[in-house]
Amino acid sequence: MPTLEIENNVFEVDGDGFLANPEIWNKDVARLIAKYDGIGEMSEKHWAIVNVIRKNYEEKGMAPMIRTICKETGVRLREIYELFPLGPARGACRVAGLPKPDGCV
Amino acid sequence: MKTLDKKTIEKGLKVLNTHDNGKLLTHLNSCVHCGLCAKSCIYYRAMPEARFIPATKVDLVASIYRRYSTTSGKIFPALTGARKLDDKTAGEMVDLLFGACTMCGRCTVHCSIGVDISYVVRKGREMLAEMNMIPETLQKTVDAALQTGNNMGISDTDFTETLEWLEEDLQFELDDENAKIPLNEKGKNILYTLNPREPKFFPLSISAMARVFYAAGESWTLSTKMYDVTNYAYYTGNMKEAAIIAQRLYDEMHNLEAEKCVLAECGHGSRAFRWEGPNYIQKEYPFDVITSVELMLQYLKDGRIKVDPQKNPDRITLHDPCNLVRSGGVLKQQREIMKLCTMDFVEMNPCGNDNLCCGGGGGQLAMSEYNERRMKIAELKAEQIKATGAKIVVTPCHNCVDQLLQINGAFKLGIQIKTVAEIVADAIVLNENKTS
Repeated sequence: MPTLEIENNVFEVDGDGFLANPEIWNKDVARLIAKYDGIGEMSEKHWAIVNVIRKNYEEKGMAPMIRTICKETGVRLREIYELFPLGPARGACRVAGLPKPDGCV
Repeated sequence: MKTLDKKTIEKGLKVLNTHDNGKLLTHLNSCVHCGLCAKSCIYYRAMPEARFIPATKVDLVASIYRRYSTTSGKIFPALTGARKLDDKTAGEMVDLLFGACTMCGRCTVHCSIGVDISYVVRKGREMLAEMNMIPETLQKTVDAALQTGNNMGISDTDFTETLEWLEEDLQFELDDENAKIPLNEKGKNILYTLNPREPKFFPLSISAMARVFYAAGESWTLSTKMYDVTNYAYYTGNMKEAAIIAQRLYDEMHNLEAEKCVLAECGHGSRAFRWEGPNYIQKEYPFDVITSVELMLQYLKDGRIKVDPQKNPDRITLHDPCNLVRSGGVLKQQREIMKLCTMDFVEMNPCGNDNLCCGGGGGQLAMSEYNERRMKIAELKAEQIKATGAKIVVTPCHNCVDQLLQINGAFKLGIQIKTVAEIVADAIVLNENKTS
């Protein structure tokens, strides 16, 4: 099992760096992964997006549609790609501690 | 690892039955080991080990053929380099044919005697599919498509609501309530398809294409039941599943009585449905199939849409998706579009039929266990992009878009990645079109 080390914290991850055990996720883990991806400080908008994704995952077992993220956070679509340069899947879902979504992402 | 039983091995060997397959027989027996393919391969170039040379991958499959189907191989396996299909061989096949090949076909083009190397690799994948040895990470995407109708498991409600949301936005931006994203409408000229990652995470390309259709005054529709342009069974080598997925789009064309099927910007999807689909389902299509790239160029040529290249002033380069360009024949159209819609278009080197794969093809994007290799081979693409000085990389393939997004992050390129539709939509001049 590959691991990801960020500031002396070691996480078990899949080959793409998504948490192998999504249940170990907490806000500190989110901050560390975001930092690793080059997102300096998690802003209010970053948190709003991550929280919506996490909530959807905990309730429905999968990442929400981008529409749900926009509607529930009020963040504009284009801004989401600026906040998470790796996109909603490899960027935001990873920070939210989800397993990698299937498909061309 | 599990031990292969006799029955499983027989299933795998059946794929190598050459009695009614002269093509396979030829390509398994023709490699002269000249080694020219080594430098064609992004894996070998990034990691110069003999096992990554395309000829090694061909020989892996051919050695099994020799062991079971040739007299010399049966009697003197060691002398002929013939190999038994056992756990060790099958394990190597998974590692090299799934884990170290994007099936980009560049080696095939460079082969000194014309061995269709990627075809042999696919036959190897078909063997592994028969033996139930497809990497789970890749199969999951096929399973999602088979179970839910699309490879990301998007529900009908989520899909419909997303399109309604995009339609509202389109109407607002165009200031016209007649701007539509039609759904499940019968008897339209075009049934358009999508890559599920568009409605799920990256809908700007749907809005862009809707804008193009609006400007062209096209009669089109999307379908809730079958809109998925992808066919991951093309990657896994499970031909039965590939046929089920292709048949669905065929059936939906019939249900909605559409004239023409237009494939979204998706390399493997257009290859699988347009060129290979009739073989999967064993029948000819009674309708036309074209890619959205070809359609957009046709609109431009026919004057159905007007564009102003000054709306795209930044330096732009193209990345050629292997399945669309080298294996799909759509080569010049996207270049003509760039010349009409942008001010500063430059080519990568090499490009077109000789372009380097982005590293995400062949299902690599889905198989996280080979991620390290995928990002190693990606460095070649990063260097190519850097050398162009482009600010925007355009590519008509959503799979390539995702790999390029990762390359952008990993190699700090500071570029934007867009689809062809996004470039065309940005260049469209609507008022001129309306008054003409």
